[in-house]
Amino acid sequence: MTTKPLERVCYVEDDEDIQRIVRMSLERVGKMTVEIVGDPMVAVEAIIRFKPDLVMLDWMMPGMDGPTLFRKLKEEPQTKNLPVIFITAKAASAELAELRSLGALGAISKPFAPKDLPDQLRALWNTLP
Amino acid sequence: MSTQAAHTTAYPDEVVATDREPAGDPEHRVLADRVAHLYRQSNLGILLTLIVGVIVSVELWVPAYRDVTIMWWLITISISAARYALYRSYLQRADTDEQKWLRWMAIGALAAGVNWGIAGAVFFPSHSNNQQVLLAFILAGLISGGIPVFSSVWWTYALYAAGITLPFAYVLAAFGNHMFAQLAMLVPVFYVANVAIAYRLDKVFSGGFKAREDYTRIAREQDAMNAQIEEQLQELLNARREVEASGRKLTLFAERAPIAVLEFDPNATVLEMNPAAENLFGYAIGELIGRNGLQMLFPVDEFGVNDSWWRDFVSGVRPATLDRLRCVRRDGLEIMCEFTFTPLVNDEGDVISIIAQGRDITQELEAERLKKEFTSTLSHELRTPLTSIIGSLQLINSGVLGDLEKDVAELTTIAERNGQRLLDLINDLLDIEKIESGKFELSPEIISLDSLLGDTLVLNKSFADRYNVRLAMDDRLPQVKVEADPKRLVQVVTNLLSNAAKFSPEGGAVDVTLELLGDRVRISIHDRGPGIPQEFRSRIFSRFAQADSTATRQKGGTGLGLAICKRLIEMMHGSIGFENRPGGGTTFYFELPVLEAKAASAMPQQGAVQ
Repeated sequence: MTTKPLERVCYVEDDEDIQRIVRMSLERVGKMTVEIVGDPMVAVEAIIRFKPDLVMLDWMMPGMDGPTLFRKLKEEPQTKNLPVIFITAKAASAELAELRSLGALGAISKPFAPKDLPDQLRALWNTLP
Repeated sequence: MSTQAAHTTAYPDEVVATDREPAGDPEHRVLADRVAHLYRQSNLGILLTLIVGVIVSVELWVPAYRDVTIMWWLITISISAARYALYRSYLQRADTDEQKWLRWMAIGALAAGVNWGIAGAVFFPSHSNNQQVLLAFILAGLISGGIPVFSSVWWTYALYAAGITLPFAYVLAAFGNHMFAQLAMLVPVFYVANVAIAYRLDKVFSGGFKAREDYTRIAREQDAMNAQIEEQLQELLNARREVEASGRKLTLFAERAPIAVLEFDPNATVLEMNPAAENLFGYAIGELIGRNGLQMLFPVDEFGVNDSWWRDFVSGVRPATLDRLRCVRRDGLEIMCEFTFTPLVNDEGDVISIIAQGRDITQELEAERLKKEFTSTLSHELRTPLTSIIGSLQLINSGVLGDLEKDVAELTTIAERNGQRLLDLINDLLDIEKIESGKFELSPEIISLDSLLGDTLVLNKSFADRYNVRLAMDDRLPQVKVEADPKRLVQVVTNLLSNAAKFSPEGGAVDVTLELLGDRVRISIHDRGPGIPQEFRSRIFSRFAQADSTATRQKGGTGLGLAICKRLIEMMHGSIGFENRPGGGTTFYFELPVLEAKAASAMPQQGAVQ
């Protein structure tokens, strides 16, 4: 279990409303520092710049979906070790299992409860070695 | 029976071998015929004996021999009477012992012969030459006359003739003149010649009877054969009628069937088609019959039914089903069909024709596609905005953004609750759709049922609190391991608990129990609610089942919960049910196969809620 507390979270999500809710949930309830990226095409650079402790990816996004972005992050030396959690409305269990085997930390299903979201993230964070 | 009658009328003789036929083997029956012939001639013999006896007595009357003559007549009449009696008893015989009757006849023949022999011997010496000539002629005549009477069994004749010949030859030689003595030497020759004739007649008789016997047998066999042929003919007629009937039935099936049926020859030429096929392809029968089906009905396509597929199919001699076959209608419209091609094969194994049965599944596929699209829309497009709605309301209601005015807080709570309800409905619809389309996958693991129950009770405490209902479970549960999908099992227990809580009276309790029943474990959720109305019991596990539609508004819920529970539990190889709870209320239970179980320990269970 890692001793470092979870402080910086980057969330890649195209829906502006959900962006705001997640930001509010993590900042207000979870007391974390949050960076939201709306365009998955620029997400890799943004993540490198922000240096988060953990990355949250939406599953379905226009332009590039979450799993594709996840694979790109795994190819990038500066981001390949970042823990990644998927936020998804349709969790195809087979694909999820495959992503887990590639190193995804877990998945939180949509709709999530904003007041419980920070706790859920921390619970997954605490499973890290 | 008719064959026997016909056979009997063909031989109307008074005396026949036997009227109980067929008795014994053919040889026996031929012998019977020969014996019967002897008896038929017997009366003629007796009559001739008497007539000749009278002639002889009158012509050769000598007063000195009166006593001897009378004596001879007594003997003659006795023998004749005995032979007639034998004839009568033969007619009334009950047995088929032909040898016995033959022996008696032979004795009669010998007696008749000896009687004449003695007559010759006694009367010959006492008469004049002329009278002796007459007597010799008469005796010779009697010897010859016996032939037709006795020759059907030659040795009876031999006995008869010997009876006459031996004494007569003796007196000829002893008492006759020189000429008679020479004649006596010829008598044995005469005897042998006559016996030889009788013997040959016997063979002719035997042959005749044998032929008759054969004919009878053949006639009988032919009758049987005719009967058999008639029977087979009848069977053939019946079979033809059946074939015609089933042919009519098949035609009717094809005529009225909603499935398109076409018959092709091995070169894919259309031979026959039904009205449904006309409808499917838009061609009238006349437009397709005799034309090549491959060119007319299927698009030129690398896949599907093309020339090379058809060749492979015909040489493979196996039915083929194509569940996505593109077809072209007369108006050029392409449709998607499902077709089965079945080759009909003759006795030599050659394909004589091909029956194709199919239907248009274009609309079905479209409906399937729409359903998929709808499901995907439900799952993503509806849930995404709901995430925002419920998320926003939850953040507001959680108080992290500051306290709300009381009325506002009440309204936002109502909004959040109903948003959640809408989400539950969507989730339930997705679940049931997935389950029913067979796309639902469980992730079974080995789980401790007792601790899972404890956790689920904790999860549902806040919901129960809303109805002011207590969830209670014994803190000493048996430890049971089952193989199940934990997430889905929690869903089932949650569903049953929330139903129980909703229908419990305020301040009441919902009791959860866990019992081991052999190799199964039963989890029961008992409430003190109003019970299940009688008329609702049979459809409680159906989709959109609710006892009272007003209950939806009052209690929430989608009417899908129990239907999903039932299917989930069945997918986990369990069963689900309910019963009236003694003292009022209802018990819902489900049972799962047990992997491993330990009896209840004294240790309090983790997560037990009091």
